[in-house]
Amino acid sequence: MPVNTRKRPTKILQQVIIVVLAGATVSACVTSRVEHIKEAETGIAEGEAIVIMAKSYHLGNETEAKFIDCVSDAIGRGRDGLRVIPHQEFVDALFPWFEPRTAPAETKGLPTLMARPGVADIIHEQGVRYLVWLDGDTDKTAGGGSMSCAIGPGGGGCFGFAWWQNESEYEATVWDLDGLEDVGTVSADVSGTSFLPAIIIPVPLIARTRAKACKALADQLKLFIVDDDAV
Amino acid sequence: MFVAALCGCGGSKVTLKNPSIPKPLIEQMQISVAARYPTSFDSFVHEERVIGKEKWSIDLGASNRILFTQLFSSMFSEFTVIDENTDAKDLQIDALIEPTIDAFEFSVPSQSQTDDFAVWIRYRIKIFDSEGVQVANWPIAAYGKSQASTFGGDQALRRAAVLAMRDAAALIILQMDKSTGISKLRDARARSNSAPPTVIPAEESMQTTAVEDIPDDAG
Repeated sequence: MPVNTRKRPTKILQQVIIVVLAGATVSACVTSRVEHIKEAETGIAEGEAIVIMAKSYHLGNETEAKFIDCVSDAIGRGRDGLRVIPHQEFVDALFPWFEPRTAPAETKGLPTLMARPGVADIIHEQGVRYLVWLDGDTDKTAGGGSMSCAIGPGGGGCFGFAWWQNESEYEATVWDLDGLEDVGTVSADVSGTSFLPAIIIPVPLIARTRAKACKALADQLKLFIVDDDAV
Repeated sequence: MFVAALCGCGGSKVTLKNPSIPKPLIEQMQISVAARYPTSFDSFVHEERVIGKEKWSIDLGASNRILFTQLFSSMFSEFTVIDENTDAKDLQIDALIEPTIDAFEFSVPSQSQTDDFAVWIRYRIKIFDSEGVQVANWPIAAYGKSQASTFGGDQALRRAAVLAMRDAAALIILQMDKSTGISKLRDARARSNSAPPTVIPAEESMQTTAVEDIPDDAG
């Protein structure tokens, strides 16, 4: 009997670790749709770069700063990665012409912008060929279930089941600064339902819709910009 | 912390330390300008209390003085800051600018039910000619927003305040001359020096009280 009581906590701990690891590695299912509309030919030469920007919050855009960073990192990563100039560096170099209040909302404002003193020179110096404007966000669209947790002198635990649905909808509009034109859009819609069952220990099965949308959008943007025939 | 969590109390005191704006990419106006700042520009503190929840305060310190000095130094070919005891008429300047803060507000996520900290600043810019006559009284409203989940509470509020100041700077660069006619004051002073008029032309004596929501012409 004493042997059993000594082994029991270790066994429970092992089971807890297994359940937590399973929860961390198994994620809930997501469905995604990636589309693009191409309006002009694209292509990027060696040394040319792109900048990923959020559309202005003065226009009601809610794109998360984390998402911009995620897409920028994903496009710049790997052997086929593109040169991405950090958006803050670009905005600071061209102050005040890409502030939320002053940034051009349409390509018809580009000729006026490029004619301003120093603007074309800095864009040329930095080698910026494409501006990518991101729009959209991730929202919780539904949810339900219930869960209660308790703690006492002998330990604690949770019991119940909760779920929620997230929708990540993003659109990237690509401007060519050579031709001063809109060359098209790439969009990613990802939805997924996360589950949180709990019998003593909650096991989260998270649908990572934003991360999935980031990767899908970045992969498609690379193809859109680099390889004309692949998209 | 546990007690704070139980009663829902919280909040923070945020201090803005010497923020700066990038050097603007603009052509300088060939005009000699002085600025006189109010005492609030050296230490401005604003507090927001979310009823029953938390208290937030932001200390802007001397950031307004720094912002306007950087901005005007870039905008005008000659710029100097004078104190309140200096009589502007004794200086060889074309215009005197007196900026003030009319209102400062911010909202935190628990108020807006979003993930955002938002800051609104309403500045008022008064412009006087070389004779000390007020020629413009221009209110401007600036806005900045930052996400708490990206930067954390304190940092997000600080960033929202800096973005609001950058917004004000952008608006001033874009609209100041159009709304106040400050660039004309150099010629007006030259004319008055060469042949002192007995009557100020109606166009130059008219005080501008421009509205702030003039459409942007950047794009």
